[in-house]
Amino acid sequence: MITPEQTKLTLGFIPLTDSAPLIVAKNMGFFEQWGLDVKLQKQNSWSTLRDKLHAGLLDAAQMLAPMPLASSLGLRCTPTKVITPLVLSLNGNAITLSEKLHQEVLKDNGISEVTLPLAAYLLQKVISVRKQQNRPKLKFGTVFPYSCHYYQLKDWLASANITELDVDIMVVPPVNMVGFLESGEIDGCCVGGPWNAKAVRAGIGLTALTSFDIWQDSPEKVLGLLESWQRNNPTTVLALTAALKQACNWLESIPNRFEAARLLSAEQYLDASTDVIAPSLIGSCLTHANLPPRAIPSYNQFSKANNGSINVPEYIRGEWLLSQMQKAGQLAGIKVPNDLVKNVFRPDIYQQMRLHLEDIS
Amino acid sequence: MRHSVLTNDKEVGTPELRILLIDDDQLRANSLTSALNNSRYKVIHLASPDMALLKQVDDIKPDIIVIDIESPSRDILDSLSTISDYNPKPVVMFSAQEDTNTINQSIASGVSAYVVGDLEPERVKPILDAAVARFREYQKIKTELSDTKQQLASRNTIDQAKRLLMKKKNLSEDEAFKTMRKTAMDTGQKLDDVAKTLISLLDNF
Repeated sequence: MITPEQTKLTLGFIPLTDSAPLIVAKNMGFFEQWGLDVKLQKQNSWSTLRDKLHAGLLDAAQMLAPMPLASSLGLRCTPTKVITPLVLSLNGNAITLSEKLHQEVLKDNGISEVTLPLAAYLLQKVISVRKQQNRPKLKFGTVFPYSCHYYQLKDWLASANITELDVDIMVVPPVNMVGFLESGEIDGCCVGGPWNAKAVRAGIGLTALTSFDIWQDSPEKVLGLLESWQRNNPTTVLALTAALKQACNWLESIPNRFEAARLLSAEQYLDASTDVIAPSLIGSCLTHANLPPRAIPSYNQFSKANNGSINVPEYIRGEWLLSQMQKAGQLAGIKVPNDLVKNVFRPDIYQQMRLHLEDIS
Repeated sequence: MRHSVLTNDKEVGTPELRILLIDDDQLRANSLTSALNNSRYKVIHLASPDMALLKQVDDIKPDIIVIDIESPSRDILDSLSTISDYNPKPVVMFSAQEDTNTINQSIASGVSAYVVGDLEPERVKPILDAAVARFREYQKIKTELSDTKQQLASRNTIDQAKRLLMKKKNLSEDEAFKTMRKTAMDTGQKLDDVAKTLISLLDNF
């Protein structure tokens, strides 16, 4: 066993279905096993989570996969070296349309029902009808500029040659997404669980497709921490990474997933019913009040995919995320150092952690 | 002749500044509003996060935004700067819980936002004054910077046009410059506009 330099830690998380590894590690005693006394601190916005991590108010945090790159590049923040020694999850997002937009899609295309996953070209008609009638552009919500949600939404729209000239995309915090869909403030959104299921259960939306229908097995959330903190507390980081890896492994079993849903539903975490948390965890995508759910076995992935471990922060994953940021125009005029990905994605720490994990298993 | 001066300590002549306050805490909002009575600040309170923030910002056109750092709406505000036609506003974030100095250091230097402690009514006016002043200073520097860049760019254009003239028309540097200046004076154009025209003309031959 190892002896962490710092044992009391505060971790930040945003209440989402894929914060499961942190909540499982806490509740199943994995942190404790590694000598860590962890406090999970719920955060309300990605920007504040980032600022608190940069400021050292949080020791580590669950982050959107592109965020450590954005922090290191200083995109809308002071450049701060953030690293990731562990990928926490793959997939997990979905695109949900408001019931009003769903009806427009049916009417403008002259169809009586949609086929899922929904093809984006069905929106073309809606866009042109709205234009003819001088009605406002379609508005989509996404959770953060540097998020896979944003890139996935853009990619899906681009599959039908729809760009940000045709629709508006705005940032909406996950917690407000369903309310915005209902009030008509947005017509659709790309968001993680449990928000899509919440919209469907409330009868206010159609989940048109999941992020797995757009990109297969892309990193979604990662463990982020300051490089300087890792240098001062290398053993703590190994212990933290090992405990979270154990939680990810624990989440591999479907029966455990349902138990995880129950843990997540607690007030201090997601404060939501298992009715909306459990489906994606057990591979079910709720679609619409009047339609059956779709089976998406890889909806949330925490440990294995295609028989390989998903948790290794491989360079190739970082390069790929960086290319998405580039494609979205977020790196225009930014000097990207050649060794950026190698400095942010740290498989070396992961491999070191594996050795310790093997010691105990 | 003497006029009696009726004004008190209200800031005469300074235009009213509209504050959009985004805060769930109604009591805190009330105390802030009353603390700013009789000042140049007018508070419009928005209990986050139920209403559409962007639309509100659009309608209210606040001069300054004050937001609880724990508000989910912070992400919306944070992304505002990417919207090109959005007019930047000073943003004051407050935090009742955290060590605000440390957070401050982590927020982009020069960004129009900074973090203060809890909004204590007696402290709030100087904080807002400082935020507005700092924001204006930042905007000024930004404008100066873009002016400087502009000047550098036009100097480059003028140089390039001059070199083209020297080469194509076989003129000395002085002659080339004088030709351009004369054209500018004759046509009432700016020197760098003349340079641009020259470049597009001469480059084609």
